Amino acid sequence: MRRPRRGWPALDASGGDIYEKKKTGGIERTRQLRKTAHMVVEKSPEEPAVAPPAQRALILMLCALVIGAAASLAAIGLTDAVSWLNDGLLIAPRARVQYEAAGWLVPLATVAVPALGGLIVGLIWRYVSSARRPLGPPDVIEAVQFERALPDLRSGVASTLAAMVSLGFGASVGQYGPMVYLGAMLGGLVRRLRLGVPNLPAIAVACGVAAAIATAFNAPVAGLVFAHEVVLRHYSTQAFAPTTVSAVTGYVLANVVFERPALFLVQFDGVAHGYEFVLFGLLGLLCAGLAMGFMRLILRIATLAAQSRLPVLLRPMAAGLALGVTALWLPDVLGIGKEALRFATIEGAFGAGELAVLVTAKIALTALCIGFGFAGGVFSPALLIGILFGALFWTAIDSTGLAPTSGVAVYAICGMMALTSPVIGAPLTTILIVFELTRNYDLTIAAMVAVVFSNLIAHRFFGRSLFDVQLARRGTDLSAGRDRARLQAMPITTCLTHDMIRATHEEPLKDIQNRLAASPWSEAYVTDAEGRFVGVLPQGAETPEPPSLQFHDTTTVLEAMQSLRGFIGDAIPVVDRDTGKLIGVVSEASVIEAYLDISQTLRREENAVL
Amino acid sequence: MRFFSALFVLLAVTARAEELTVVTWGGAYEAAQAKAVFAPFTKATGIKITTARYDGSLTALTARADAEGWDVIDMLEPTAITACDAGLLARLDHAALTKAPSDFAPAKLRPCSLPQNVFATVMAYAPNAFPGVKPTTIADFFDTARFPGKRAIRKSPDDILEWALLAEGVPPSQVYDLLSTDRGLRLAFRKLDQIRDHIVWWEDAADPPRLLAKGRASMASGYNGRFFAAQQAGDPLSVVWHGRIIGHEVWGIAKGTDAPDAARRFLRFATRPDTMARLSERIPYGPARQSALPRIGLQPGTGIPMRDHLPNAPQHGPTYLVRDSLWHSHTADLRKRRFDAWLARGEDDG
Repeated sequence: MRRPRRGWPALDASGGDIYEKKKTGGIERTRQLRKTAHMVVEKSPEEPAVAPPAQRALILMLCALVIGAAASLAAIGLTDAVSWLNDGLLIAPRARVQYEAAGWLVPLATVAVPALGGLIVGLIWRYVSSARRPLGPPDVIEAVQFERALPDLRSGVASTLAAMVSLGFGASVGQYGPMVYLGAMLGGLVRRLRLGVPNLPAIAVACGVAAAIATAFNAPVAGLVFAHEVVLRHYSTQAFAPTTVSAVTGYVLANVVFERPALFLVQFDGVAHGYEFVLFGLLGLLCAGLAMGFMRLILRIATLAAQSRLPVLLRPMAAGLALGVTALWLPDVLGIGKEALRFATIEGAFGAGELAVLVTAKIALTALCIGFGFAGGVFSPALLIGILFGALFWTAIDSTGLAPTSGVAVYAICGMMALTSPVIGAPLTTILIVFELTRNYDLTIAAMVAVVFSNLIAHRFFGRSLFDVQLARRGTDLSAGRDRARLQAMPITTCLTHDMIRATHEEPLKDIQNRLAASPWSEAYVTDAEGRFVGVLPQGAETPEPPSLQFHDTTTVLEAMQSLRGFIGDAIPVVDRDTGKLIGVVSEASVIEAYLDISQTLRREENAVL
Repeated sequence: MRFFSALFVLLAVTARAEELTVVTWGGAYEAAQAKAVFAPFTKATGIKITTARYDGSLTALTARADAEGWDVIDMLEPTAITACDAGLLARLDHAALTKAPSDFAPAKLRPCSLPQNVFATVMAYAPNAFPGVKPTTIADFFDTARFPGKRAIRKSPDDILEWALLAEGVPPSQVYDLLSTDRGLRLAFRKLDQIRDHIVWWEDAADPPRLLAKGRASMASGYNGRFFAAQQAGDPLSVVWHGRIIGHEVWGIAKGTDAPDAARRFLRFATRPDTMARLSERIPYGPARQSALPRIGLQPGTGIPMRDHLPNAPQHGPTYLVRDSLWHSHTADLRKRRFDAWLARGEDDG
């Protein structure tokens, strides 16, 4: 095997390797760009050498195995820790009922435990986490889409700890978001190693995510698809194989080694009437509306919490207190609510009124818990809200007595998935989760109908998912695709040139014109004595004129590309938005080069085999 | 003088140790115990065993244990936990009783009890009651439209509430979680309402096979060993293993025992793998120790391979529930209160 040349990808003469040496000329420029493009590429100035294909394959598989096992064990550990806390703190009904005779003990725990958990979470944000907020799928998506590192390890561990406390102390939040982050965090550690495999950091993170979901739901296919649908957002052979290995590793550990029971077995004998598929579609549409309401409320309460005068430290505690008081008369709102999840599939377990109250309470309290700073996901609350709403829908249909149905279970499951899919933005994953959880084909077909309609409506009127909308609010818009988002995230300052003809307006005109004539430039860039930009002075002109185009330091490559249409001239001046000082200029060519560079990076990533 | 007092103490101890009162359940079970455990113990140690019978209840334990001089008691695990909490049983030093505590897994060595065997509550039916389609699942027990006839059920909230939820399609792993909620209990009693007018209550474990044989019930809940014994005696009843509830039977030592050493000696003897295997050869209750399983052979006399009839034999299918003894013990009052209220409500509805 030929040793790769240090500093640049190996040239594979057989042509099978796409990491071939770039055409000369672009290299220096690109390397310079990479050095300065702090938003896009945080790689060290020196490119790591790319390992030979066989070695890359080995590294990828080993990483997948190790990350898969680690993420799976971590997910199992988190579940067990939460369940242990739930039992010990009298959150789980099975623990509560055994202290029923103790009189005041259970009500006291109901109110005090979530509030205490809130206080602990508040303290974790203040004293342990440097990010001071829960980390979750949006952070993972952002890191993978922009090839950045995840937030620091300390914040990640703090976030996981806070999630464990939140869930363990009964907050109305989900466990899968934290699990996904935990898996991603473990995968993210690979970034620190220089293993010579392109795209490895993103793939490693996706491996962790796939293993976490595969373990959590006992669903390896869903884990694999989730990692692609939500995190990677492209299907390349290079990423597909390791994530599959990771997902299966997680599944084997959970299912074979630890013998975790299947999460949600449902008996269902098939859809009895053809017209019910119309009802499933209708249920999907209604779920889309409810999901949008749920997501809007989460965002709204988060905004309100940020504006409130309540100290940040006490916010989770306030939410915990509200939850605990509600739970005194509505204990189903505590925690993940896996009992309610099951009851919803049993006919007559809930009255229509109870279902409506519980759906409303769960939506409000989940939004409150998340908005006020508890750490946890929206996945499992969405499952619960959806299944209850599905049961409510069935109860309404059934009470009209117009048409016989196939029973509550299928409507409950349809509702569950139709509500969850728009929230996490993963229709394929949710369909597969139904399939793998229930192992029931008829149920999957029914859920599929509800899921697509729900997803369609919510995507059109809200956005791809809650994660994407949360990211967009932080300034990272992925709605128009990865390439666009990367161009948008790349500031024009990464393409700057400083060797243009720069002049002050005190300099004699003749001198400037002489300097221009001696250079390849056709324009000089004129500033005042303080360096503030005044205008451009074309060759042969007498006074500086305003430029036909001007960028600020905040201008992105995307904006630059769009405004370049019809531009004629050497280069575009880039001016500091606040001070008005000239920072440098960018040439049309360097903008296009940056664009091509990003396209090429993505194209390589999406078509990579090894 | 010292010698005489020492001799006196020695004599007193041996005199007391010569007889042990073991309390158990009677019937086919006690007959098997007598052959497999009691007689070999007396033969090996010279300690005589007299047996007393009780109904397994805590009330009997409280009322009779001291008065009748009970020493060792054969108990359901939840009752043993409750009795232990109430201070009616002596605490056990498990390190002194067994050399291999892990051999008992998944059964637990609790403060006052040592696991001895594994039994199952199963449903059985009289085949002549259903000449056509036969009941196969626990849901059929509650389906009096398809399977008419009386249901013989133990007059207790134990087991029947679990069955009610299993019949609603709740997977075994979630039954106790759901029964822990008020909604789950309501759901279970709603299921019981479906057969309210078809119930024949029993209280003696020997009754269910008799009720089936006499045609007073078409289906019955009962213990697998009792049904097996009835089948051997020629009763043509069939057992449905779907939805069986597996429980642990334990040994406990009465707090007021006057022969603690002999009692401990008995516990050590009774929980030896060969003793356990001997019992399992006579009545199909599984041994509580893993190492006893491979020793179980044919039933003396009939030559029936007994391993096939144990509650945990693999051919009985995957749908079974392992009783959560701790939960049972801690929720006994609540369940009894709800059960009595449900019984009373039926009378009111008249």
